[in-house]
Amino acid sequence: MSDTALGHHTGGGTTRDAYFEMVRRKRLYGGLTILVFVVLLVSGFVLADGRNAGGFWNGLSQLGDFPATVVAEAWESRADMPAHLVTYFPALIDTINIAAASTLIGVLIGGLLSMLSTRGLAPVPWLIPICRRIMDIMRALPEIVLALAFIFILGGGPVPAMIAIAFHTCGALGKLFSEVNENADLKPVEGLASVGASWPQRMWLAVVPQVAPNYLSYALLRFEINIRASAILGFVGAGGIGYELKNTISWGQGKFDEAAAIFILLFLAIVIVDNLSDLARNRLTHGGKK
Amino acid sequence: MTDAVMQSEIHVLFRRKRIMALALPFMVLAYLAYVVWTFDVVGLMQRAEPGRAQTLLADSYSYKTHITRSNRTGDWDAAIEGERKGKYDEGVFPAWAVLNDTGMTIALNHGHEVTVSPEGEMRYDVPGFGLITALPTRRGIETNLTPETAPDWVNMSNTRLSITTRGGRVNVTKSKTEVFRYFTGWELFFFTLDSPYHGHSVTEILFGDQIDPTRGNVAGALHDFWMNPMWHHHQVAWAMFETILMAFLGTMGAGLIALPLAFFAARGFNPLRSTRFALRRVFDFLRGVDGLIWTILLSRAFGPGPLTGSLAIMLTDTGTFGKLFSEALENTDKKQIEGIQSTGANRLQRYRFGVLPQLMPVLLSQILYYLESNTRSATIIGAITGGGIGLLLTQAMITHKDWEEVTYYIILVVLMVMMMDWLSGWLRRKLIKGG
Amino acid sequence: MLNVRHVTRLFGQKAAVDNVSFDVDRSMMIGIIGRSGAGKSTFLRMLNRLTDATSGEILFEGRDVLSLRGKDKRAWQSDCAMVFQQFNLVPRMDVVSNVLHGTLNRHSALRTALNLFPRDDIERAMDILDRLGVGEQAPKRAEALSGGQQQRVAIARALMQDPRVILADEPIASLDPMNAQIVMDTLRRIHDEDGRMVIANLHTLDTARRYCDRVIGMRDGRIVFDGTPEQLTTGVARDIYGADEGFSEAATSTAIDTISDAPIPA
Ligand SMILES: Nc1ncnc2c1ncn2[C@@H]1O[C@H](COP(=O)(O)OP(=O)(O)OP(=O)(O)O)[C@@H](O)[C@H]1O
Ligand SMILES: [Mg+2]
Repeated sequence: MSDTALGHHTGGGTTRDAYFEMVRRKRLYGGLTILVFVVLLVSGFVLADGRNAGGFWNGLSQLGDFPATVVAEAWESRADMPAHLVTYFPALIDTINIAAASTLIGVLIGGLLSMLSTRGLAPVPWLIPICRRIMDIMRALPEIVLALAFIFILGGGPVPAMIAIAFHTCGALGKLFSEVNENADLKPVEGLASVGASWPQRMWLAVVPQVAPNYLSYALLRFEINIRASAILGFVGAGGIGYELKNTISWGQGKFDEAAAIFILLFLAIVIVDNLSDLARNRLTHGGKK
Repeated sequence: MTDAVMQSEIHVLFRRKRIMALALPFMVLAYLAYVVWTFDVVGLMQRAEPGRAQTLLADSYSYKTHITRSNRTGDWDAAIEGERKGKYDEGVFPAWAVLNDTGMTIALNHGHEVTVSPEGEMRYDVPGFGLITALPTRRGIETNLTPETAPDWVNMSNTRLSITTRGGRVNVTKSKTEVFRYFTGWELFFFTLDSPYHGHSVTEILFGDQIDPTRGNVAGALHDFWMNPMWHHHQVAWAMFETILMAFLGTMGAGLIALPLAFFAARGFNPLRSTRFALRRVFDFLRGVDGLIWTILLSRAFGPGPLTGSLAIMLTDTGTFGKLFSEALENTDKKQIEGIQSTGANRLQRYRFGVLPQLMPVLLSQILYYLESNTRSATIIGAITGGGIGLLLTQAMITHKDWEEVTYYIILVVLMVMMMDWLSGWLRRKLIKGG
Repeated sequence: MLNVRHVTRLFGQKAAVDNVSFDVDRSMMIGIIGRSGAGKSTFLRMLNRLTDATSGEILFEGRDVLSLRGKDKRAWQSDCAMVFQQFNLVPRMDVVSNVLHGTLNRHSALRTALNLFPRDDIERAMDILDRLGVGEQAPKRAEALSGGQQQRVAIARALMQDPRVILADEPIASLDPMNAQIVMDTLRRIHDEDGRMVIANLHTLDTARRYCDRVIGMRDGRIVFDGTPEQLTTGVARDIYGADEGFSEAATSTAIDTISDAPIPA
């Protein structure tokens, strides 16, 4: 055994040196990366702190003040809480409807776009890059931009939020769907092509059955995200529970008890939808059959 | 007999399939119909103002120059978009507006021409229609049109006449006469009229004679561009940077906090069931409260600015990452950890060499994915807390005026998100393959 | 009836099918043999219009099928059924639906999407499945069937098209000898009973000899043999396959009776 080790030593000196060199370089690069990262993080924090209206350490001590005020006020008029919950429930339904409708539209249009942009499925190859770019742009456009533009044209309410979220969802789901499509088996598609089936028939009968569980799983995930998005867009004027929250939470309205009710509704809605969709997605991806 | 059984079985199967096939599209349509009804889309369409959409679209790629006569003093001036910052010097007019003894002659698009006499009489010979004249007097506007003969592109009342044609627009009121001519493009994007570099080409600035005697051409031009008082390029750049900063700090901070916590929330790493359970609920709570509410709460304490946005993203994503990481930890391969353990390594070493290498790809790809998506969130959060490009965007949109600026911001935001998308994809490939 | 004139298909610089011409004057069963990469699949796929030809024409009863576009092309495809080596069924759908896919060309997309297949068609699909001996499998999912059963479902789909021509691209290559024989018998019977033309790519000489009326040998995209099964001697086969003296037919055979002459259990 010592023989072989010796043999290695004499014969492989250079490889060994090279190895140590590589380890050293790797450590150096790793260390440098971490250093740069930490420096970026710290200086970023300092910068953000400097540009913020209130400082971090100051604010930290006041962090509890606002929630305390809200809770105190809500507690005072706790008898009204059930009534408030009932009052704002329709607004929550609006928010959920915005999310559901835009997810649905996103699935329909995103699904179509994804098939037009997957090699092997697209009816004409030159559509592929065009549809991909369209989806990239749809995906990159933050919801708030379209929402504000449509609020300008259509006035407030849930429809601008729905259009804005649906637009973004089309792009986001389209991309995820086309990744699913890439893994779809093309043999059935070819089988249907050989009998003279048209493009919609091939997609509907040969592709959709294969990809539907994954589509559904992504759509549920998107639904969770869209509920949050629709709440936040409400806050900038697009209806639903976010809008009510904005109205009740401003200082001096004396409506913090109502704000608390909205907090509770929104929190519960998000947690419930998250858990249900988690459950359903687990079923879809692992449960398979039964 | 079995054949008959089979036959009926198949027919039952197909009846069921047919019902399913009909039910799904029916449900989708029914739901969409319900949404149309509950959101009152029909009423909304009636109340919608398509004119605004037109303004928005036209404004986003074109601008107008106002030539204005004060009908009290008879003085003329010219200003781009009618703004103070776009005003021409006293007595200076663009080449298509000529002022002399016979009055003002303004050439509009498509060969249209408007003249205004020194007395203030506006004459506009609209091709295909005929001459329109208007004289503002103390009593009102004297015009050759009557409400009956006026075409629908003319809006008239006793005190006001406005004509909109392909060539441009003319407004006559008692106090002033305004003529607008439209141009494609973004006005004064590089230099405003008060900058000495306005109207000079790139080659002139780079290679030509010194334009401003007090400054070098390149430095001066860059300064004037950067400080452009109409487009505020420096502010926009800062805002974009702030937005990316929010996303970066929020995502990375969340990752750093969530990683150690995830170990305490993962089965197989923390034997205490109760703490595991408690931590999971904390993660759920952080996620459930959601960025919107965190933003509101934090902005009360920290005031508006990028720090607030960063912290809001950080809190939400600590919940998300905590959940994702602890799930990833539970899915790690135990054999590798045992291998490290068999060498007598302590707990920290076990995690460092047995777990982290397995966790790293999941961790990095999640963090990078969220970095991109948080850039978009940071735009919205910025609109709420008041920071970054989101704030500029909402401000520009709420004033309902400078849609070309809005377009500019939108293009920048889209480019920014696409760049982050590309960067995150590139880093993901690089780190995960290389690591 | 079928005239193939100078058909060529290039992939980049390489000719997968190189100036192929032949004529068929009556409905018969034709076997195409040749080693891997000879261009057999490419040729059949061009005939079905799954792949476009680079040049040449294929006349079926005087009409050039290579120049058909859109609706006409799909109508031709429904007249010219294809059976694949990998069956190319929709695995998650039941057998009857897979067979009904043979009628897609006759129905609108909306109608098929809503699963509105006429009752007659469903009955006919089940008759065809019965005829091919897989009637019991009708309500199962296609993926739950064995390879041989799936191939028979694929043939049922082809028959559902009521085609003039059936193309079979190595229909038995992924089947065991038992199933291979059943499938080949089925194809032959379809030819004999219905008078449909059958063109099959085959990998085994004895199958070609045993089932076909005419054998075409391809090598590097060209036709190097065209004759009756009797003319297909071992020497000719060596030429087609470019093999040396060591080439033996038994080694490539999948037929049960060339290995043992034991009677096939019914
Ligand atoms: N889509 C394609 N792109 C590029 N080359 C192709 C393509 N399809 C086939 N080829 C090439 O064309 C030639 C003929 O292929 P083909 O599949 O027709 O052969 P084959 O006779 O069916 O072989 P096998 O018995 O293995 O199925 C091969 O060299 C193959 O590499
Ligand atoms: Mg082949």
